[in-house]
Amino acid sequence: MAEIAQRLKRRWLELALVSALLLALGVLFETTGLTLGDVISKRFLGATLRLSVPIAFAALGGIFAEKSGVINIGLEGHLIIAAFASIAGVILTGSVWAGFLAGVLASTLFAVLFAVVCIEFQADQVIAGLAIWLVALGLGPFLSTVLYGSVNTPQTGSFQAIAIPGLASLPVIGALFDVTPPVYLLYVAVIGCWYVLNHTAFGRWVNASGENPQALDTAGIDVTRVRYVSVILSGVLAGIGGAGYALSIGQFTGSGETMIGGRGFIAVVAYLLGNYNPIGAFLSTTLFAGLQTLQIQLQTGVLPASLVQTVPYITVIVVLAAVGHTRTPAAAGEHYESGDE
Amino acid sequence: MTDSRWRALLQRIVYASTFERVVISLAALLLSILVGGVLILVSGRLTTCPTAAATYLGVGFCYDPITVFDRLFFGALGDPMNPLFRPFAGEFAPPFRAGWSPFNSEMAVTLRETAVLIFTGLSVAVAFRADVFNIGTQGQLVVGAITSAVSLTALGPVAPSGIAGSLLLIPAGLLAGAIAGGLYGAIPGALKAYADANEVITTIMLNFVAAKVALFLVSGPLQRADSQIAQTEPIPAAASIPSVLFDARTGFSLVALAVAVCTALACYYLLNHTTLGYELRTSGLQAAAARYAGVKTDRTIVGSLVLSGALGGLGGAIYVMMIVGDFQTGVPSYGFDGITVAILAGSNPLGVLLAAPLFGIIQSGSIVIDTTTNVPPQLVDVLRGLIVLFVAMPEFFRQFGRRFFEDDGGEIDG
Repeated sequence: MAEIAQRLKRRWLELALVSALLLALGVLFETTGLTLGDVISKRFLGATLRLSVPIAFAALGGIFAEKSGVINIGLEGHLIIAAFASIAGVILTGSVWAGFLAGVLASTLFAVLFAVVCIEFQADQVIAGLAIWLVALGLGPFLSTVLYGSVNTPQTGSFQAIAIPGLASLPVIGALFDVTPPVYLLYVAVIGCWYVLNHTAFGRWVNASGENPQALDTAGIDVTRVRYVSVILSGVLAGIGGAGYALSIGQFTGSGETMIGGRGFIAVVAYLLGNYNPIGAFLSTTLFAGLQTLQIQLQTGVLPASLVQTVPYITVIVVLAAVGHTRTPAAAGEHYESGDE
Repeated sequence: MTDSRWRALLQRIVYASTFERVVISLAALLLSILVGGVLILVSGRLTTCPTAAATYLGVGFCYDPITVFDRLFFGALGDPMNPLFRPFAGEFAPPFRAGWSPFNSEMAVTLRETAVLIFTGLSVAVAFRADVFNIGTQGQLVVGAITSAVSLTALGPVAPSGIAGSLLLIPAGLLAGAIAGGLYGAIPGALKAYADANEVITTIMLNFVAAKVALFLVSGPLQRADSQIAQTEPIPAAASIPSVLFDARTGFSLVALAVAVCTALACYYLLNHTTLGYELRTSGLQAAAARYAGVKTDRTIVGSLVLSGALGGLGGAIYVMMIVGDFQTGVPSYGFDGITVAILAGSNPLGVLLAAPLFGIIQSGSIVIDTTTNVPPQLVDVLRGLIVLFVAMPEFFRQFGRRFFEDDGGEIDG
């Protein structure tokens, strides 16, 4: 009985928060003179997709890690280091794609470090994740200053949008087919991750590794190996996000919280809101990325820019409170020790 | 994500024996310095310079890690060592250099940073003890700092002058900072207790919100008249915490340091000898058991974040009243350093009193590095992360210790 009452209370809370959010958006539109036409436009959709890249890729990575039982709260760190390494790679080689690979590689190395620290040395996953973030937050600007004399790198070449003939000229949704390579990669990754998690043996192992590692162990699958692969995969995916984002801008900016600005933490909320489903995570990412696009457009309006910039962060808090306690994998955060060592 | 089970590992760090914890913290520190040294060498190969700063094994490097760490640690203390003091060479000159005074300006900066870091370290540590990850100390410090600055400016005209004014304004400024920081801490506390929202995420988001709102306020409604930069009106002179023994221009006050040390002792007493402290610790150890013992865990979570936020806010008030004399944007990342201080201290308030000076030295030393070497001062931000990383993996040091002491049968993990 108490549980039903609890659940009802929860529903009411969610309803109240969602209405508050809609009301706030309404007020925003009313006071700024922005119209629905501004939001439902090719420009808006295109910008939203570009801003989705870091959040969505990090969220996809976070899903693999957490489903396998290792909470990767340091996604922000992966994004930062990938963003820096990709720009440094472009400056070094002159090739955008080589820079992209450098970014993914850097993030993957961080993931290997994180995996060893968490799995081999049984570190507390949250503290280790925060440490990865803090190391990247220091290392990106440090190396940028060593190499380029400033926490911000010079401007480099960047990814250009590729329009798919025909599809790109569709009204509004044509924007989906006139985007940079990382956005196309995102479409593939969302579908691919969904398929791998739900329709392959590896996906079942990842699930079992987070839900019931003993059973997986009994079935003869090495839990440790599944977790290593999942965490490293989270680094690869987050690396694509960080490199793809930096290379769509063509510069790494390292002042304050760096150009990543909390997107790795927003990614965690995105996959919680999407209930660990890659497609759900992508859809919730577009909500946050859409708000960031809105915020950039509003900055040219009457409201002070610094206040408008708080909107995405406040939304994350509101959404997190409304989603509340999602059902996390049963063994997430726990170290697993096989009996037959 | 807030399942209490996944925090069991943290407890191994927090509640390991004191001796083991001290050893692990020191080992982590040493390892971070070693890794930092390698990073300095590698960076020294990545950059270019007219003459090599150091040559090891026939390879020239632009940066010399030994110089860097010498500047970092001894520079931060105003170079106390006498170059003639070489005990290993059998020369026993006085250990301290002639003319060295403990009241030098580098030392003042070190102690000044230490005072603020004691508050932010305590802020993170107190929450940790209740099993709450408060990453939002930075935001709570910003909110406390701006509130303190604004209230002091408002109180200035009505306060008496001289000593009486100081006796009124300084406590008022501290109180304003603590209340504002505490209220800002209450937000993630309530969200965690009543809506199950993970506090790591909410506090990080609130850091961004605090920074943006503070920027809006000091570059708009609260901006100092005819000032080009984003800063508030200066606080009244009587509200500046008086410096004792040290040069007033260094922005350090022994009074503020004394307040910080007393706060740490008070936190220790509160955690270990009061009912509230008992409730915080038990709900941190075992939420379910605490509920059976009659502890209202929801209220404890909110309480711990209010206390944590108030400590962060106090740090902000001290920052305004001791160092800057107004509120301006570009607050140093005391809150993030507080995470490292708290983790290095094993979340023990007395440990904070040891870890904060160490980080005060590192922060002050980074200024010396910036002025005397060509190594970017952002190096210390990397060290901050490395220390957290290494302290988080006690098992690494246990395994290393086991391998090392195996031969003589020594047991290092009880």
